[in-house]
Amino acid sequence: MIGLRRARPLLGTVVEIGADDVVAGSDPGSDAGSDRDPGTEAAIERAFDAVARIHALMSFHDPASEISRLNREAAHSPVEVSEETWQVLHAAQRLSAASHGVFDITVAPLLVELGFLPRPAGSTVSDWPSERRGDWRDIKLLHGRRVWFTRPLCVDVGGIAKGFAVDQAVAVLRDSGVRSGRVNAGGDLRVFGAPQETLHARHPAQPTVLIPLPPVSAAVATSAGYYRHRDQDGREVCPLVHPHTEQLCDTRRSVTVYAEDCTSADALTKVVSADPERAAPLLVAHGARAIVLEADPASGGCRVYDSAGGARPDGQPGRRTAYA
Amino acid sequence: MNDTFNWWSVPAIIIPAAIAAPAYAAQYFTVEQAQRALFPQATAFVARPVHLDAEHKRFIADYSKVSLRVDRQPVWRAEADGKLLGWFVLDEVYGKHEFITYAVALDANGGVRGLEILDYRETHGGEVRDQRWQAQFVGRHYGDGLQLGKDIQNISGATLSCKHITEGVRRVLALYEAALK
Repeated sequence: MIGLRRARPLLGTVVEIGADDVVAGSDPGSDAGSDRDPGTEAAIERAFDAVARIHALMSFHDPASEISRLNREAAHSPVEVSEETWQVLHAAQRLSAASHGVFDITVAPLLVELGFLPRPAGSTVSDWPSERRGDWRDIKLLHGRRVWFTRPLCVDVGGIAKGFAVDQAVAVLRDSGVRSGRVNAGGDLRVFGAPQETLHARHPAQPTVLIPLPPVSAAVATSAGYYRHRDQDGREVCPLVHPHTEQLCDTRRSVTVYAEDCTSADALTKVVSADPERAAPLLVAHGARAIVLEADPASGGCRVYDSAGGARPDGQPGRRTAYA
Repeated sequence: MNDTFNWWSVPAIIIPAAIAAPAYAAQYFTVEQAQRALFPQATAFVARPVHLDAEHKRFIADYSKVSLRVDRQPVWRAEADGKLLGWFVLDEVYGKHEFITYAVALDANGGVRGLEILDYRETHGGEVRDQRWQAQFVGRHYGDGLQLGKDIQNISGATLSCKHITEGVRRVLALYEAALK
């Protein structure tokens, strides 16, 4: 049971951090509502600070962020970045290579065009026709944490940084002596120290209705379009784009990925959203599992697709998964 | 891939709407706890609710571009041995499906020194604008145990929005300009 929970608006969502008492100086009899262990409070505060720092470094909207600086300057000359931004770019590049570019942080110009991201000041990349645009292979990570774009690019790490922020917050809690806790950044969630916890995801067509999912013992992330959709030619779309086809992903689905860490879970949701079939080997390689929810108009419920449901040796659909 | 089932071709299961859980609520702080958290050095919190007249409301709407729905804003003066430390402003925002109570701590010069969410509630919709539904939360204390979504530990899936909180903070800053400065 989590002793103390706090929530703040960060990363464009409400971030919730929970922790039990820290190892030293804890009072097992203390109640969450009465006088609280100041060590736990301080640990949660430091974890929020870590999330806020990642928010400040990697915001696409903030002209003062490192990502904005890369978008302005890295095509001219290499730009040195913080350890955190470096790690996120490394993780993004690894996944781009493994997914053959299905995951690609350079799709930002498309999102700008579609109105999901603001046009960055001073950037002209999004005015370019798509055949002249670069892709993830034009991002070079040089020694000394320097980043160079071999042609003008506009990167947005929104598809991975939230998961990374959750992992960083968890690392801070653990370093602070917290034995068990959880960090939930609006869909990107990591728990530690507890055997497993229950998990719900939103119904893709009715977001306030919660659908029970298999329990989580490490990290999980969900990508869906329910709150960010807008009409494009009368259709509902969401800001998940397939980089090859430039097609928007279906907003009536939600994708949840279970993984060991939240950075991977977050990024893998984008791969599964773009190409569920081809994501299968990548999920296996990461020890990850994907669950896709799709509205079932006939019952008002949800169709559940489960990548672990295919593991049955007889090749039959995995009807006996956690729902059986 | 040929030797394994293609997970994407057939649903593993179809969950009927009946077993879906209806709503979610979480409480983080009572007002008193949030006051202590945001102003740990304060020795007293003096209630100074602001009564908002038409002129205040016009100013706040112009300044923050957010309209004001209430006539009275709960505000406390945080003091240390009689000296003003800042202001504790309690506020609520709601969207189509959510209701968030939060507090903003302003320093003596009106700068934001902290923000805490006191509680977060989701509903199917209509209830949020229903005064009686709101009234059930008034005077609530930590541990009173909201029964909504009691067994829900974690939701994977974005919170409904934090846009409303951002707008709310803008409105609170306008309130400071209009009535506390």
